[in-house]
Parts: sequence; structure tokens; C-alpha cells
Amino acid sequence: MKFGLFYEHQLPKPYDSEQWDPDEEHKLLKNALDQIELADQLGFDYVFEVEHHFLEEYSHSSAPEIFLAAASQRTKNIRLGHGIVVMPPRYNHPARVAERIATLDLVSDGRVEFGTGESASEMEMGGFGVRREEKKGMWEEATRECVKMMSETPYSGVEGAYVGMPSRNVIPKPLQKPHPPLWVASSRRETTMVAARLGMGSLGFAFETPEELEERVDQYYQLVREECYPMGKALNPALAVLSVLSCFENDEEAIDKGLEGAQLFAYSLGYYYNPFTGGNHQPGGMNIYKRFMDTPPEQRWGPLGEGFRGFGGFQGASVTEEPKDEVTRALWRAAQRGGCIGTPEFIKDTLRKYEASHLDLMIFVAQCGARKHEDVMESIHRAGTKVIPEFKERHEKHQRWREQQLEGVEYPVNSSI
Amino acid sequence: MPAKLDRIKDDALRDSLATAHVSLKSGNFPDVVHRSSDAYVEMLRRDPDLMKGPMGMRRILFYPRLGARLIQESDGSPAVIYDRETFSFSEAITYFEFAVDSLVREGV
Repeated sequence: MKFGLFYEHQLPKPYDSEQWDPDEEHKLLKNALDQIELADQLGFDYVFEVEHHFLEEYSHSSAPEIFLAAASQRTKNIRLGHGIVVMPPRYNHPARVAERIATLDLVSDGRVEFGTGESASEMEMGGFGVRREEKKGMWEEATRECVKMMSETPYSGVEGAYVGMPSRNVIPKPLQKPHPPLWVASSRRETTMVAARLGMGSLGFAFETPEELEERVDQYYQLVREECYPMGKALNPALAVLSVLSCFENDEEAIDKGLEGAQLFAYSLGYYYNPFTGGNHQPGGMNIYKRFMDTPPEQRWGPLGEGFRGFGGFQGASVTEEPKDEVTRALWRAAQRGGCIGTPEFIKDTLRKYEASHLDLMIFVAQCGARKHEDVMESIHRAGTKVIPEFKERHEKHQRWREQQLEGVEYPVNSSI
Repeated sequence: MPAKLDRIKDDALRDSLATAHVSLKSGNFPDVVHRSSDAYVEMLRRDPDLMKGPMGMRRILFYPRLGARLIQESDGSPAVIYDRETFSFSEAITYFEFAVDSLVREGV
């Protein structure tokens, strides 16, 4: 199993102010670069950077290609993942994506992981004029064309439903041939099955348990072997799972320094993805952190329930058991202590279960909510020195398991797992 | 054939989704979406409790909205509205996997 870090660039407003201090965004990005530099030195394998637009407080990461380019110059080995590039052409024309991915791959000496996705929040889709019912079709067509642009000389052109472009030679070409490893964001199980059938890695953002993962891994690799129609010219068979990290010498400290950030991560995510709240967000005029702090702790797993108040007698979001539907459950899980908030031993126990389920990549959310930079650094340092080494020693065994799973697959594989 | 299909107990629904799977492999994506949606709606019709209360509301909200969407008729019964008749590979897979997973989870 390999390990990565995941960055949303979360920036809560001060509790008693409608705006941030003028230097806060500057500090946030510089601190994140320090954290990634440390992670690289400690042997973390990946950093994944989101692309979101207009989601104040939740994510100040709208230009990940710029941030990853900066990270590439301060690191040597860590792989630089887009988690993800939003592919509907109204956000990013596929030719521009191909150019940026290739350039980042060149300046980083071939360390790019090309994560792709659709986006789902009303704030973002509305801002760029993307219709919900078309976003997956747009993602598929734009990603397919983008990969051709990176690997064909010249690109032959297309007249598609969403992308139209004549033949051009899209340059530069990436260092990794035929193109960097391909991923797709999978917030729902169905998209993991899409990933398998298209030969792409699945960036699982649903906080799956080891037990759920085991079944998903079986189905995923079966589909890769038996029903794969590759999106690109090489397969990236890989499953990744997200977990919130807070690693300290005792449980109390890990919870004290880590749980509120996890809860705010879930709360702000739920706020923007709930059509009743996110769709009515007042740009520049809302303090989500204050709203979160004023919410009773048992309801801080996300305001997804608020919009349903009154429907069918539903009285609110004070839920003590896991919700059944996958999207709500992911928010709920993100806000719990989870398996990676605790001591190194506690976290290793959790990770051994994922390892037994043959997980390829665990991605930690270390920076979230109002966590202090020094605490994030300490947590990354402790995980890098006291958690990860044990799993690195066993990774060869996992690679052999992967080879068995991929036996008979007729397409080339360019996975970095 | 995906192993999960075998876990659908109802013969007619399993056969219909097996046909949807054949259509998926042959590139007939509209047929996949129609068969998968029909199977899901049939499951809801058989157990009206599935559409009641906040869970029913969530079923409508979380049903894939990629050119076909789940609605509740005025008499409370579920139905699927099609906004278009062309679907991509990934859209078809999404409806197919959603239906198979839902039927297995509800023990149909």
C-alpha cells in the first residue's frame, strides 16, 4: 500500500468576521508547500490537489496546476496528482488541460498523476453554465479527447457532442508515455465501476471501510480483466481511499487537534453539495465556520439533513447511526473520529485492515478546517516516521498480488503503484 | 457477467439486467439506461414503503440525474422521466450499476 496527502486548501473565516485577514490565503498556500516538502522527505508517495471554484472556506484551490508546479520545484520524488481536473469543457478546454498536464509533467521530471472528474456543486456548475444532466457525458468526451491530444502527433480533431476542434498538434507532449496515469474521482460506487471499465484509477472519496473495500476491489479488478474498454492508451488499475489524519502520541491530543477539522471538512462539504444550502449560498456574504461553531456537535457531520427538515416528518440531522445512502454516509463518516485520528499504533491497526483488503493507495486529509500549520506538520512527521515505514516494507508483496490480478490483461499498464 | 448480478433473486429482474449488461457490451447504451431504470422503478413499486418519508425524498435526489431522472407521481408512485434518448458509456454504466447494487441491497 502506498500513501498520499490530499489538499483542498481549507480556510475558515474568523468566527467573528465576514472576511479573512488579508494575508491568510498567502500563508495557507505557503504552509501547504512546506507540508508537501516535508512529506516528500519522509517518503510519502503522492500529493493530490483538488480543483474547486467559488467554494469559500471549503476549498481555496482553484488553480491546482500552478500550485503543483510550485510543489514540483520543492520536491524530488513525491508524485503530483490532480485530484481532480474538472473536465467539462466549460471549466477547462481539453486542449488547455493537455498542455498544462504535459508542461507539469516536464517540469516535474515525469511525476504527474492525471486525475479527472466532473464536479457536482451548484455553485460551480452554475458559475460555469454546466448542466448537471450533461456533466458526466462531458467528462467522458473531454477526457478521451484530452488523452488523444497528449499522445497523438498530430491530434486528429473531433466533432463531438461537447467538444469540437480541428486537427492540431497539441504541444508540448508529456514526459511519461503514452500519457501520465489516468484517474477519475469516485464519490459513488458506480463511478468506481466506470473507472474499472475505462481502465482508470478510482480516487475514492466516499470514506469506504476496509470491509466495503474488499468487495469493491474484487469487482474492480474483475471488470479490468473482463470488460475493459480503455479511456487512454495505457491502463492505471488502482484504487485509492480517503481518510482524515491526525497522528499524535496519545488519543486525546489527536482528537483534540484533529476532530474539529474533520467535522468542519464534512460540514462545509455538505453545505455546498446540499442543493438547499449550497444552491442558495450568498457569495462573499456567509461565514460557514461561524454557522458550524453555532451548530450542536452531534449535528456537525454535515448540513445535508437541514434541507429535508419538514419532509415526511423529518426533524433534523441529529443522527447517531450511519446514514444509509452513500453520499450522506460519506459526510457522516468524514466527521467521525474514523480510523486515522489517534496514535501511530491505532492508525497502523486501521491501515493493516485496508492492506488486507488490497487497497493500493491511502490518501490522508491532513490539512482541514482550522487546524494549525504546526499541528499538521507534526502529524505528517509522526505518520511519516512511525506509521508508513511498516507498510513500505510490505509493498512488494502487494505488487505481486497486483500482477496476479492483471494476468491476461492485453493492454499496457502505466500505473505508479 | 458481473458476479453481483447473480445475487438478484427475482428471475425477471435479473434477466432484464443481464440483457442490459449485454447491451452495455454491444454499445446499445439507451437500452441499458431504460432497462436499468425500469428494474429500479419496479423494485420501488413492489414496496411502497421505499418511497415514503425522507428516505423516499433522498431516493429521488440521489438517483443519477444524467438524462433520466426519478420522480414521484401525484399518487405517490415512482416513475422515470427521460430528458434525452442518447447516452454515453459512462452514463449507461452508472444507471446499470446503480440498479444492480440497489436491487441486491434491498434483497429483491
